[in-house]
Amino acid sequence: MIVSRHSRIDSVAHFLRWVVFVAVALLVNFPILSTVLTSFKTNADINAYPPKWIFSPTLEHYRAVLASPNVNYSHYIMNSIVIATLGTIFAIVLTLPAAYAMVRQGVGRTWLLPIITNLRALPLIIFAIPFYFMYKQVGLLDTRIGLALISCIINIPIALVMFVGFVQDVPRELDDAAKIDGASMWKTLWHVVLPLSRPVMLAVFLLSFIYSWNEFLFGLILTTKNAVPVTVGATFFVTSRGIEWGPTAAAMTIGILPPLILGLFAYPYIGKSMLAGAVKG
Amino acid sequence: MSYASFETKEQASARALLVPLCLFMGALLGFPTLINLWYSFSDVSFQNMIGSFVGIDNYVAAVTNPKMWQALRFSLQFAVICTTIEVGAALILVFILHPLLVKRPWMTAILMLPMMVSPALMGVMYRLILNEFTGAVPVYLEMMGYAVNFLGRGSIYKTVVAIEVLQWTPFAFLILLTARQTVSYELEEAAAVDGATGFRSTFHILLPMMKPALVIVIFVRFIDSFRVFDHIYVLTGGGPGNLTTSISIYIYKLFFVQNTLGEAVAVSILLLLMSLTLIVVAMRLVVRRS
Amino acid sequence: MLKTRFLTAGAAILATALSASTALADITILAWPGEPAESAFRKVLDLYNSTEGAKNNSKASVIYFSQQGFKEKMLADVAAGSKEFDVMLTATYDVGLYAPFMTPIDDLVTEDVYKVVSKNSIETQKYEGKTYGIPTDLSLHFLYYRKDLIEQLNTDPAWKAKYEEISEKILGKKLSPKPADQWDWDDFIASALFFTKSINPDSPTRYGTVLQMKNLLYNIMLWQGTVASNGGNWRDKDGNITVDSPAFKRGLEIYKIITDNEATPGDSSTYEYGEANSVFGAGQVAFMLQWNAAVPEFNDATKYPTVAGKLGLSHEPAGSEGPKTHFHSLGLGINKNTAKLDEAKAFLSWLATAEPMKLYAKEGGSPPLAEGLMAEIAGDRPEMLLMGEHAAKYGFVMDGATSAKAMGIYTNMAENFTGYWTGEIEQDEAIANVVADMKKAFAQ
Repeated sequence: MIVSRHSRIDSVAHFLRWVVFVAVALLVNFPILSTVLTSFKTNADINAYPPKWIFSPTLEHYRAVLASPNVNYSHYIMNSIVIATLGTIFAIVLTLPAAYAMVRQGVGRTWLLPIITNLRALPLIIFAIPFYFMYKQVGLLDTRIGLALISCIINIPIALVMFVGFVQDVPRELDDAAKIDGASMWKTLWHVVLPLSRPVMLAVFLLSFIYSWNEFLFGLILTTKNAVPVTVGATFFVTSRGIEWGPTAAAMTIGILPPLILGLFAYPYIGKSMLAGAVKG
Repeated sequence: MSYASFETKEQASARALLVPLCLFMGALLGFPTLINLWYSFSDVSFQNMIGSFVGIDNYVAAVTNPKMWQALRFSLQFAVICTTIEVGAALILVFILHPLLVKRPWMTAILMLPMMVSPALMGVMYRLILNEFTGAVPVYLEMMGYAVNFLGRGSIYKTVVAIEVLQWTPFAFLILLTARQTVSYELEEAAAVDGATGFRSTFHILLPMMKPALVIVIFVRFIDSFRVFDHIYVLTGGGPGNLTTSISIYIYKLFFVQNTLGEAVAVSILLLLMSLTLIVVAMRLVVRRS
Repeated sequence: MLKTRFLTAGAAILATALSASTALADITILAWPGEPAESAFRKVLDLYNSTEGAKNNSKASVIYFSQQGFKEKMLADVAAGSKEFDVMLTATYDVGLYAPFMTPIDDLVTEDVYKVVSKNSIETQKYEGKTYGIPTDLSLHFLYYRKDLIEQLNTDPAWKAKYEEISEKILGKKLSPKPADQWDWDDFIASALFFTKSINPDSPTRYGTVLQMKNLLYNIMLWQGTVASNGGNWRDKDGNITVDSPAFKRGLEIYKIITDNEATPGDSSTYEYGEANSVFGAGQVAFMLQWNAAVPEFNDATKYPTVAGKLGLSHEPAGSEGPKTHFHSLGLGINKNTAKLDEAKAFLSWLATAEPMKLYAKEGGSPPLAEGLMAEIAGDRPEMLLMGEHAAKYGFVMDGATSAKAMGIYTNMAENFTGYWTGEIEQDEAIANVVADMKKAFAQ
């Protein structure tokens, strides 16, 4: 008796959980869903009242976006890919050795680690103005490499925290064994730590790539034509002569797709990296 | 003796591993900070990019401008409201959805999608779906008998808050869910021992165990909402009037629109000082708690 | 309009021939984003690259920024000495701001140029006596209205009675419907109220009009016809700031009354050009004040079937000084830092000839053509005749609105006046803020 009453309550609770899940999933994803649908609608369907959920899809807006003579969208996509990739690689190259040195030798752990992890908390706008002038002086304005360096700065805190967490989990015995064989610190890092770091490296790569891709403020301020990233380029469709919802929706769908797909794999690391910062940082 | 020198050598090469990172951060952040400092004491302008020393004029102009305080108040208020709602909603959702998601991890991914989207593009998307005539949301609400102007003067503040909350509650949810899952095993054992059930165990055992995660979430969400720029910039441009001008948008406007470069930089420096103070206080709190 | 003069221009031809004889490099043009001008300008460049440019061995390409933040970015770039673009945008309202970063082009403005673009449009590209741009687009405002609806308002007795009732109830005076070209601002307000469903349940449209009240400087330009038509100006002849004049207050109130009575969409405080067009185009409002650039769009039945064929155009409603319209020109000038001065000049010289300007007009641009050319193009673009007429009869430029400070002042007005319309601040406070800002700006 009791058991069956319990199971009935359980199944009702289970059902309610599903209801909540579906409701929340729809609510938070509604703009994405709606934009993707809009991108496949004809102009007449976009302006239709009431909005149509069933319509014959068209690719005209995608064609318009990718073939637009005025907005070189495929170039912007390429920019974002290059900037995010380079920025991520720079961050990894700089932080993995540092994390290793911090954990194993304790160098800079008490001052450098907290400084860098807290950088994430600074409003980036503070640096926007001097960056503009500095880049102008050294010719980095409107270059992919210039934006990649910014991406790198943005990603360093999270990469460092994740690598510190990772090195802590590498058994010290492995290092010691290498050391006895006479390997220098560099060699140990290269031959022992690096091969082990593949999973965490993937995690850092995914997260950094997503964060770099979504950067807007510096993309807005530091580019004019050559290095314009997708986030900024998509807003080009919101022009002075009328907001063209179809092409805008298509441009945004393209712009959000890479991080959405990577995000499906990357999301568990976000939680872990944050908590690693809490517990270990 | 030999051991000590061996150790020193190790430490020296360890330091060498830190050098690239330190150089990089010094060049790319230290240098701009110095430029900022100089500009904040000079009458720099687009017409005169070097400027000459004017003492604390820029700082006086910055703090006597009521708009700075208005922007600061907006950012603080915005951050407090958003953080409270996000963390509260996330906490409730964790307790409701955890049993469902623990067996079906892939479902979590669906809830995580919004935070993968660039906030700027999120702003443009909301501009599309909240449009009074072509936007899906107002149209459906109207069919149900509610007439709401999401971008209208009465509701724009609530709308920018709602957009932030809808995009970032998943983040808070994810961190708390991860924390909840890590403490799960320990919790089950503890609860089994003292015979606590459902509700009681939640508040007396689970919450304290999730406290470090909660602190992190609150801190990160507060900081991120405080410096909000992207979605408000594309949605309202800080208006109507100054109603949605955050401190980041305010600095941007001072610099690019009003061309008061020195004042913009002075506000930046003040903001930097405020942020550092906040960080130090937060760190102290975390250290004392743990 | 000014009479165009026909004079030989051997010097210009010689200059063009000379520059064509040297090997030139490709140039980049920074232009104002937005359709239909954007596509039209691209066709002009294609023409250049296949004819004169090919002869010169100098190809021209164009770049655009996002419209939001466009001017800010351009200023930062030219100030930092950017060479990313050789030819750049100029506009009447900020020629003073950009002048220090541009090369004057008076040597290009020969008598032949006056046969192509109107002389007074070139005046709007001048600052302190020097010319900085070849004007490519004239911008001013029309009252766009639905012919069918305004006609019915003037003929249907039931509508007329309702109109009188509403105007008496809300405005306190009994007004009778008039044709759109005879409106004053009271008629404008009363009609906005009449065509609003919440006030008049029988209204065929949801709202009477659509105001653009996003915190954006261009929206102030659109609005300030309300001020000028009542004799208002930024400054008087002695240089005193006159933003606290009755004309400004009346202008502010016109928008406020419409907003408070919800005769404009509730979202108007985030609206700019594009949103207003889509609202009018979807048949949700009966009329609006709008930039001339939208006309070709509304004649496009595939885009706006509700409105196509029913679009009426008039000057703005009248004030005590009759109707007025803000006007300015956009143009192209030369970035001072360019390394390709000859190439840039060669391009601009070519641009200021009949063939490219006619092509630009046919494809949807709005060049301020001289009379002779205007007549040739009128068949394709009837509203361009109206534009020339309106600019000459009703056009105004506020005193100080071409100075280096104009952009900042417009921005400050946008911030304060949109704040007033949306109820964030009081009118007195908004005006006081603007006056204080203008005093500071003009003092420097």
